Amino acid sequence: MTILPLAIVTPLLFIILSLLIQNVRVKNTLSLFFAFLNIGIALTILIEVNQWEMLKTQMGSWPAPFGITLVADRFSAFMLFIAALVFLSVTIYSVQSIDKERIKNNYFLFTYGILMGVNGSFLAGDIFNLYVWFEVMLMGSFILISFGGERAQLEGAIKYLILNLISSFFFVAGIGILYGKMGSLNFADLALKFSQIGDFPSLFEPSLILLLVGFAIKGALFPFFFWLPASYHTPPPAVSALFAGLLTKVGIYSLIRVYTLFLHYYDYFWNPIILWIGILSMVVGVITATSQYDFRKILSFHIISQVGYVIIGLAFYSVAGLAAAIFFLGHNMLSKTNVFLVAGWVHRERDTLNLKNLGDMFNKNTLWGVIFFISAFSLAGLPPLSGFAGKYLIIKAGIENNQILVAMVALFVGLFTLFSMVKIWIEVFWKKSPEQADKENIKSNNLPYGYMLSGSIILAFAIIVMGVWAEPVAAFCEKAATDLLNSQKYINFVLG
Amino acid sequence: MELILAIFIGLLYASGVYLVLRRSIVKVILGVFVLANATNLIIFLAGGIKRNGAPFIPEGSEQIDVSTISDPLPQALILTAIVIGLGIAAYILALKYRYFEITETHDLDQLSKTDQK
Repeated sequence: MTILPLAIVTPLLFIILSLLIQNVRVKNTLSLFFAFLNIGIALTILIEVNQWEMLKTQMGSWPAPFGITLVADRFSAFMLFIAALVFLSVTIYSVQSIDKERIKNNYFLFTYGILMGVNGSFLAGDIFNLYVWFEVMLMGSFILISFGGERAQLEGAIKYLILNLISSFFFVAGIGILYGKMGSLNFADLALKFSQIGDFPSLFEPSLILLLVGFAIKGALFPFFFWLPASYHTPPPAVSALFAGLLTKVGIYSLIRVYTLFLHYYDYFWNPIILWIGILSMVVGVITATSQYDFRKILSFHIISQVGYVIIGLAFYSVAGLAAAIFFLGHNMLSKTNVFLVAGWVHRERDTLNLKNLGDMFNKNTLWGVIFFISAFSLAGLPPLSGFAGKYLIIKAGIENNQILVAMVALFVGLFTLFSMVKIWIEVFWKKSPEQADKENIKSNNLPYGYMLSGSIILAFAIIVMGVWAEPVAAFCEKAATDLLNSQKYINFVLG
Repeated sequence: MELILAIFIGLLYASGVYLVLRRSIVKVILGVFVLANATNLIIFLAGGIKRNGAPFIPEGSEQIDVSTISDPLPQALILTAIVIGLGIAAYILALKYRYFEITETHDLDQLSKTDQK
């Protein structure tokens, strides 16, 4: 199968081409073309994986534990496709919303750098490659978050940079110690070796703790989330939309992958920890969000809360729980990106995102209002949108696993999410523009927004499709979860 | 040798953490570099330190006794990590320069303008 490397080579090809082109218009067209190409590749991988269950490519024809292996199972193919969808709509959106100066200075080069890292992480078959793809992704995101060099951006960039570098150190130190102990880096080989140990001498496996802390910082889980709300509100809105949709989710993807392959042998130690991290992320994220008055800051805190849902789905560790986690991850990438995109439009119109200075946006443009309504209330979990199906699956899995209390907490957190979304809805879209104490602060830019709107509509449409036709998607996620739980299948496929 | 190296790594981590917690951005950046090198040394240590030969298979022979060579993989990992570290070092220094241009200070306490009071 040669389709897997294409998902990595295509963004690389764009990066090389974009260095040769000066014209802004050509750059825009080319980036749109490659975004469509990328989603085509992701769709092909999804269809093939659905048919053959798993795909692998041994780079340079070195057999599995020795060479670099790219593996796609249903979970990674699903994530690849959703990521490609998010990337496509953000690219369409960026063509209009990012200023000419930034595009001329190769804005798209760095978004494609992120795409290459994300695609690579989803396909990586060994843990050191995962680290390398993380770094590729981080390098692109470091540059994007500080791109333009405005004062506010530097604030966000430095906090983001230092904490993410520290998480990389945790991760790579964990890899080093793990290699010293197990003598392998390939996921399948590691899983095989862990399954052969049988009896574990110690609860505290330092390498696994280091790995977990690394992933938890990347995924903005409960005790490690502080960098996220401190930085996501500073870059241009299209950039924060891209980050919100892709970056933290890669950390969560890696956590699920590592947990299902070998961490579950230490279940008695890790399962309660993972469960509590999930619960606390959910609760703390949503409660801190209620006190915020910045559009993007509220949404940033909600990222933490929603990642918690995925983690409790993982902690249930049943087919239903994992399937719900995968479904919720996909739903969250779509909805979260889209609310950030709407925030970008509001920012473009009014030059501020402080809820107190905003108002009356629904009359300004009904269509954007409807899109915000769809995405935000999908996050809150209203039927018939994708969030309803995701939350329903998680809570159902919790009840089936006799974790009634956790299911109740998840329901309760949903209520708070609804509160925050209604708050944004009322403050930004419904209430009258604030009274004229600071009239000069209220601007109306009336800039064109055609491309931005079409990017956003794609995602809104995907959210509705995922909600109304949730059954086939959930069935696919269930198959993916069955594959994840059956790690022997993965081992046999990669090493065989 | 392992013990000396382990203590040394511990010292590097301690000084790295101390530097990262300082208020000046230059010291924070230096702290990040120190932490990166300490992490590289951990990989080196975990891979096993042996006074053995290079991992070459002599011409003509099919196999080699693995106890006579040292494991090349940790070294390859460290090389990759060093290269990534170099890229990040270049970026972070450019960021520091820009920070100094805008704020004209090394003080990281200037970084709270966008936080909600």
